[in-house]
Amino acid sequence: MGSVASSSLKQEGFRYIGKRTPRKDGVAKVTGQMRYAYDIYLPGMLYGRILKSPYPHARIKSIDVSEAEKMGAVVITFKDVPKKKFNIRLVSADRVNYKDWEVLTDHPKYVGDYVAAVAAETEELAQKAVEAIKIEWEVFEPLLDPFESMKDGRPKIHDKILFGSKEITVKNNVACRLDYSEGDVEKAFKEADVVIERTFKTNRRYHMQLEPKVAVAKPEPDGGITVWTTTQTIHNTRILISQVFDIPMSKVNVKKLPIGGSFGSSIQTNLVTLVAVALALKAGRPVKIALSREEDMYEHSSYQMYFRLKVAARKDGTILAGELENIMDIGGHQIQAYPLLGCLLGWFVSLYKWKNIKYKGIAVYTNKVPACAFRGYGNPQITWAVESVIDELAEALGIDPIELRLKNYVGRGDLFWGQGPTVKSIVKSDGVPELLKKGAELIGWYNRPRSGEQKGRFRRGIGLGRGFHTSGAGGRISGEVIDFTGCILKINEDGSVDYITALQDHGGGSLDAHAKIIAEELGVPLEKINIIWADTQTTVYDVCTHASRGTYVGGEAARRAAREVKKKLLEYAVRLLGDVVNPEALSIKPDEELGQGVIYVEGMPDKKITVGEVAREAWQRNWGSIAAVVSYRATNSPPAYTVYFVEVEVDTETGRVRPVRVVAGADVGTVINPDLAAGQLHGGFVQGWGMAVLEDTPYDPETGELMCRGFITDYKITTAQDLPKIDDFTVIFASTHEPTGPFGAKGLGEAALNPVAGAVANAIYNAIGVRFYELPITPEKILKALKERGVK
Amino acid sequence: MTERKFVKPLKPKVDVNKVNTRILPVEFEYFEPRTVKEVVELLSKYGSDAKILAGGTDLIVRMKQRFIEPKYIVNIKKVKELNFIEDRRDHLAIGAATKLREIENSGIVRKKFTALYEAVRSMAGVQIRNMATIGGNLCNASPAADTAPPLLVFEAKLKIVGLDGEKLVPISEFFLGPGKTVLKHNEVLAEIWIPYQPEGTESAFIKIARVAMDLAKVNVAVALRTEGGVVKSVRIALGAVAPTPIRAYKTEEFLTGKELSEAVLEKAAEIVKTEVKPITDIRSTAEYRREVSGVIVKDALLKAYERISGR
Repeated sequence: MGSVASSSLKQEGFRYIGKRTPRKDGVAKVTGQMRYAYDIYLPGMLYGRILKSPYPHARIKSIDVSEAEKMGAVVITFKDVPKKKFNIRLVSADRVNYKDWEVLTDHPKYVGDYVAAVAAETEELAQKAVEAIKIEWEVFEPLLDPFESMKDGRPKIHDKILFGSKEITVKNNVACRLDYSEGDVEKAFKEADVVIERTFKTNRRYHMQLEPKVAVAKPEPDGGITVWTTTQTIHNTRILISQVFDIPMSKVNVKKLPIGGSFGSSIQTNLVTLVAVALALKAGRPVKIALSREEDMYEHSSYQMYFRLKVAARKDGTILAGELENIMDIGGHQIQAYPLLGCLLGWFVSLYKWKNIKYKGIAVYTNKVPACAFRGYGNPQITWAVESVIDELAEALGIDPIELRLKNYVGRGDLFWGQGPTVKSIVKSDGVPELLKKGAELIGWYNRPRSGEQKGRFRRGIGLGRGFHTSGAGGRISGEVIDFTGCILKINEDGSVDYITALQDHGGGSLDAHAKIIAEELGVPLEKINIIWADTQTTVYDVCTHASRGTYVGGEAARRAAREVKKKLLEYAVRLLGDVVNPEALSIKPDEELGQGVIYVEGMPDKKITVGEVAREAWQRNWGSIAAVVSYRATNSPPAYTVYFVEVEVDTETGRVRPVRVVAGADVGTVINPDLAAGQLHGGFVQGWGMAVLEDTPYDPETGELMCRGFITDYKITTAQDLPKIDDFTVIFASTHEPTGPFGAKGLGEAALNPVAGAVANAIYNAIGVRFYELPITPEKILKALKERGVK
Repeated sequence: MTERKFVKPLKPKVDVNKVNTRILPVEFEYFEPRTVKEVVELLSKYGSDAKILAGGTDLIVRMKQRFIEPKYIVNIKKVKELNFIEDRRDHLAIGAATKLREIENSGIVRKKFTALYEAVRSMAGVQIRNMATIGGNLCNASPAADTAPPLLVFEAKLKIVGLDGEKLVPISEFFLGPGKTVLKHNEVLAEIWIPYQPEGTESAFIKIARVAMDLAKVNVAVALRTEGGVVKSVRIALGAVAPTPIRAYKTEEFLTGKELSEAVLEKAAEIVKTEVKPITDIRSTAEYRREVSGVIVKDALLKAYERISGR
């Protein structure tokens, strides 16, 4: 894992927290025994395939499925599915949820939109059947650019959609918008010593999670349905199925399965799940649909954003104003465009104290693959733009970029509303100064070259990017975002522990963190904690694993459940130990040799009993189960801060950029598992590097198809060989403690990505003296820019 | 709906309802011949409906993508006479169905044909190199085929076997265009003969791509022999900058007899840029490919020269 500056891990006194522990799912994963949705096979199961629109915008005049049916396939079209509009993501409160999706449509809005589906005995037969469906199309002129899309008189992508339960008409293809202002930016721009205004264009990235979507649906004899699918939220999947198909929730059961990464691509219930349900209901047999990688690439992308950013500061480095215009290309459907407009504002205002703020956010429909959350949810995009401009501001003011950041960033004691205007709190833990200081030392910040002064073919530069992400989307008022979780914890009759939660682990180890938190709180050995693969029928509600909330929100619920269970355990122990006065007189600690938690009286080695003995006695004496059910709403969503220092080398003759050294710093409060936390930073860098210099999904302007046609041959992500040597990647953790988090912990997943592109862009500028305002910064763009500037 | 402008159906470049890299819903007849003779007989019998399966890393993918739908598949993996690396005094012979990984692990290839070794090493990952074959890479005739530039600079000859016998074709005459070679339907590429180069010759291969394990934006191989810093013989070949892999004859001619000074290398890079005819596609732009062709030819020459001078 490279080097982790362990001196900063101030977590003495813990038994499991902050210690290196093996992953509970590690063996199954590395030996290939872990069963994912694709590995589900049911007796009598049919295989489904989906017919997708080959056109970016069209309407079906007629559809003929007779040939497909002759082959023995079960076929459904837009005619066979509930006539309802809905949003496939249920994280927002219903009253503010924009609904423009159908299970299957006769009016596709992008290449890949679903129009029909089949199920057959084999996948090959299903594929042949799908190819045998005949459609007569009306094809419309596609809109592939949001600015073009917004113009008067352009084709309408959607007619009527729902906002909550109200029908609304879409005008100028504007999906939704949000305006905000605070103070007077115009006045501040006039009074400022320096004003900088820039425009930025981000890329449209594909998530490239390891696992393409799979859904298996099994109709039950009572009219219900059981579902195994790739999802970040089993409960929202259940609710959506129930709402769309009018099946009572008690008869819809969604099973939790491991997922092969996600990065936000399954926050929504993937439409394939609803299609599998519709097919299974019609066929009366289980149906499995597994998307190919090519189909998956036509399922989702990141939000492409066009920013106009204007900032102002006084000579002394005090920032006075920030104005942001954000035009988002959301593609053919809304998944979470509206909450994103709010979050983007939240990310923006929580990066620096702008004092005077003006924001205009517009989400625009285009005939492209629908955009959805992608690790960071717009935060990597805006942080790239802001961190670029902050460096420009520092240069214009003649102030060191670190100093300028320290002077103006939103830190301890400041108002923080990362997740948007309805989720506000005060920052209580802040490791930014520590990370900047230590990171600067490790990378050699003060010896970095002056931008543009390097000579020779290979030029090195060092850049800094600073950012944060929230830990969940909790808050003190209920707001527009649903965020609560829950779990069940029970001590089995031998003292082992079942931990039952709906909260999904994307592979990053969230549930391992929970197990450690439970072991620590309860005082039992970690191996005693068993994480159950549960389902919606046997768990309490959890909204979704997103927003870096897995450890912070879910971990706190687990800790509270452990505390309740411990209380009962000690009460029973008092009864069994005889002369102990009350539970407060007892402590628990794990005994690794016994493989049990031991309940004891301090200073009296003989007064003890194991957790297993208490559990056994509670069972044998009919005292009842030792268990707890917890439902938990976090009232904060504190920032996890991250700082990246990146050294790059630019080959001025080929335009190629190579990452030479990285110092990745994170303030995640208490580190639960140092290896997995460092892994998040490595992974965050890889994804951020790809965003900065490599990834994009351009469209064929004539046909509206992806230029890469869905093939990974032409959608590249960074490989291990393209990265710095492992010893040149240093991870540091701040020695902070978040008072509202479980054992002082905060989130990390998204924070680990957010500042990377900004750091890389600033490093490239430091190396060659050229700033880029469009991602990705490819060798082609670098070489062109160098030639235009006559750099030799 | 009146606000929507109808257009003539756009012709999608690929069919989203067919292309994929997992499902193969087509049926074909499958053969596993054991001799080249049997291969050729099968090819003759089934003509253009038959396709040779060597490593399958291109063929099977293209079949799943539905770009080709052969009715007959002739697997040549079990033809022993197509799978070997053999030192034949004046040339090294490699069977067309030899895995890239075996070529990479051949000491003689690494020592005597360094550019080929480097090219193979740059291709895909180990798992793919354990399947993919050198013959497959050539017969697929991608303009970006990484094994082509090294074989071009070594002036390899390709042994092609048909019903009427066999022939040797210089690799410079093998490629006709993207996906097209001189091979007839009833012929199979059997062997690649790589002549040993005169004493003192060194070679190098460089590829520019988006990431490691990627198709080339541009690739180049050079084979160089010098005496006292003066170029005695040089051959340069590039890929992904024309419809086929090409030799840079004008640049070679310019360099021959010259001392490899910085000015000469710069000039050579300029000439290379006039010899390439790149296009813009999703991987890169024509402009970039042209520019970088010159740079990496220069780099490859220096790399080979460093090998000569033992640095």
